Amino acid sequence: METGHAVQYLEGLLGRSLRVHTTDSRMFVGIFKCTDAERNLILANSLEYRFPTPSAVETAAKELESWDNASEAAKATVKVNMTSRLIGLIVIPGRHITKIELE
Amino acid sequence: MLPNNEVRLPPPRAARAAQSAAVPCDITTQFTEAASKLKTGQLVKDELFTLFEAVGALEIMDSKMDSGYIAPGENHVQALEDDYDVRQPLTPKQVVGLMDQLLCHEMAWHMGHPLSQTLFTSIYLDKLLWPVPKTMEDARFDRVPSESPLISLVLRAYCLALVKACDFVHARIVTEYYYEEEDFVSQLYNRNLLSGLDPSHFFRLLDQAVEWVDSQETMDQDLRDALRCRLLLRHEFLSALDEDLEVLDTRSTDNFVSCLSTLSGITETVAHGTPVPEAFSLKIQRRLASTVPPRPIVHISPEDALAHLKRLCQDAIDMQQMLDYKGPSNFKTAIWSLLSRKPQPSVYIRCLLQALIVSDMTILGAVPVKQFLYDDLAELVLPSSVLLQANTDEVELPSDPRFQIAQKMEGFVKRFSQPFVDTVRAACLNRCRIRRTVCHTVVDWDNLQMEAEELDLDLQRLSDEPPLQMKGGETTFSFPLSSWAYNQKLIQIRRIIQMGFELSIYAPEELAGMYWYLSYICSTHLGHLDRIRTFTVAARKRDLISAGDRSADSQKSAAFHRSFRTLERVTTQLIAVDAFAIALHALYVLLTRHEVLPCAAGADAYSTDRLRYELRMKPFIPISLPELVPFEEFQRESALEGDSDAIILERASKAITEARKAWDVLLSQGAFLEEAGSGSGSGSAGGKEFPSAIEEDWKRDVKDAMRACIGASISIETVRKALGNNPSPSAQQPLNLEVTIPEIGSKSRWHEWWVVPQVSEKKNQ
Repeated sequence: METGHAVQYLEGLLGRSLRVHTTDSRMFVGIFKCTDAERNLILANSLEYRFPTPSAVETAAKELESWDNASEAAKATVKVNMTSRLIGLIVIPGRHITKIELE
Repeated sequence: MLPNNEVRLPPPRAARAAQSAAVPCDITTQFTEAASKLKTGQLVKDELFTLFEAVGALEIMDSKMDSGYIAPGENHVQALEDDYDVRQPLTPKQVVGLMDQLLCHEMAWHMGHPLSQTLFTSIYLDKLLWPVPKTMEDARFDRVPSESPLISLVLRAYCLALVKACDFVHARIVTEYYYEEEDFVSQLYNRNLLSGLDPSHFFRLLDQAVEWVDSQETMDQDLRDALRCRLLLRHEFLSALDEDLEVLDTRSTDNFVSCLSTLSGITETVAHGTPVPEAFSLKIQRRLASTVPPRPIVHISPEDALAHLKRLCQDAIDMQQMLDYKGPSNFKTAIWSLLSRKPQPSVYIRCLLQALIVSDMTILGAVPVKQFLYDDLAELVLPSSVLLQANTDEVELPSDPRFQIAQKMEGFVKRFSQPFVDTVRAACLNRCRIRRTVCHTVVDWDNLQMEAEELDLDLQRLSDEPPLQMKGGETTFSFPLSSWAYNQKLIQIRRIIQMGFELSIYAPEELAGMYWYLSYICSTHLGHLDRIRTFTVAARKRDLISAGDRSADSQKSAAFHRSFRTLERVTTQLIAVDAFAIALHALYVLLTRHEVLPCAAGADAYSTDRLRYELRMKPFIPISLPELVPFEEFQRESALEGDSDAIILERASKAITEARKAWDVLLSQGAFLEEAGSGSGSGSAGGKEFPSAIEEDWKRDVKDAMRACIGASISIETVRKALGNNPSPSAQQPLNLEVTIPEIGSKSRWHEWWVVPQVSEKKNQ
């Protein structure tokens, strides 16, 4: 890829929603605003997603149990939403990024 | 006004993402490769996105910026969730301690700290409020309630009532004019302060809790009392806040009075509580929707918290004394005095007062804004005038001048009501903002004055006003509306200068000049009042000559009487300010001349007198009247060039004597203009007493100014003595004086608006 192409590609992503995973297993979803040679990313209106804590999973499992005492299989696949919160405008340093996805 | 850091929530992404699970595509490799092609320093960015904005971005994985950051090695579970068990049994002492800690946090929030650093660090509150409870039953600490009613009933009732109280406070503040992060942080971090739940539930719960506490015969009596008065405080405070604007109808101070009485019980029992610091945690910030970096917990002492709440209650009680409208000048005096209390009333009180002052174009829920405006005009420039009496309801013939006058006046009301009410309302802002706002509005008033002048010309023709021969021989007209507007403007200019002293804006070397300018504005204002008085006297004479109807005359004479008295009061006040300003100006000139005044600017500072003057006059540059004094003239006048020390000393002594007399007269006139009999210009029925608590504030203010006068005479005498001992001071033999400028808040600064230098003889080395 040439520089011209690279810029064109990146510019095409501006304003689109990216999912960026970081080394500490969090995920950030926000509007892509800016990047540079070190792959530092600026996202606007970002939400932080975090895997649910074991206790939250446990609570959800209990809740499910109390609702229906159905099969073991149902219990094994408890669905818990990732916890999210709005944190607004963020910059993610390139060195902490593990994965970038386009929504 | 929109709170300026309101977080606008994007649509819930979780749900959307789930639906359009249109497999997100991994672009890590392409992205990385493309980015690596960029040159160092080269940016790919959204056109509309500025680097200025980028500075505000939070850096992820930076412990100082990223509230969700978890240090390597830190256990994820522990980092996010506290081990604290909200079901653990607590002793009554601990519950009392917890309640007091919560109250401290609540008051810290009232003082302007964000919830994330105060109440939202409480694990108990976090459990109550997240997930968002839909019913009263949902709002509990844990799915399985603690078995101890001390927690599941008493502490829970306390917490819930506290949250609801915050809800009322929040709702009132955010609907009024305030400055985000200066006065108050409105951010709720995507939590809800139980705004959907009816207050009656909370009262019921509190009653149950009190009942339970009363039945605990085995519990120590002191602790039972301590718990009881805390629950009662929540009850009374919640009722008081629930009342909000209804106070205009109920006219009741009962709730706030009961709050005050429970507060003394709380103060006495603070020592019985044992704080539970483990029940508060910064980790909760990791879960709050927040666009700011993590910040530490704010701690204020129970003494400070209780003092703040006590002041809030007292201000609320005193505020209710001024809810009866007693004419515009009394109304304005009461508001200004109440809001000038030190410390300034809390943001909740200031916001509540804003709503009371005016809502739905009605003053104090009773007087239409138009009436208020007309009353003010009648008081100052137009007693019993046809201009204010004309209305299109009585005269329907469009060719009739009265019809046309009424139409012109309608236009005036439309244009001037809002700015006029705003001059009153601005007092509700914080002190720095009051000055800043007035600096802006004074320019608007300059334009308003010009508009009023045009209206005056039309009205003068329509009302067939006879001209008046002035001393110089030329004839002139009264120009009532523009005179009134000019008066407003002069008040504002004076306020800008005086609040400059209060806010410590001026350096010591500027004080001479600023007091000269203050006196210049005062004398301009006095001249203007003379002009108004001349025309009112003439109008009264005309009136008496043509008086036919006796019954109407008593009303008229009352209106004129009120107007003359208003003019007299304003004049007295201005004379007092003017004389004091002249005295301080002269004193500072002497101190500057003999180089004994401390100087803020260093010898090689960039600032010069000219630059400083330009800066201070900046708000007045666009103003056409009064004309800006050119720097050269200002310098000559303010330095009293050509006057000998003896003349200046004489000037200072004379002025300060006159000032002391004038302040004395002002004090004897009292804060408020009393209604002279019945049927005065205002539409109110009179009735209740004047606000006595606020009158005390006003008196204290005048007495402080008098104290400052005495301080100034002492300083003047000290200078006189030093000059007597050393009649020709020189560089080799300077005056043997030491001068300090007392800071705001120090004991020797008797009044914020009067910077009296402390002059003392230097001790011999």
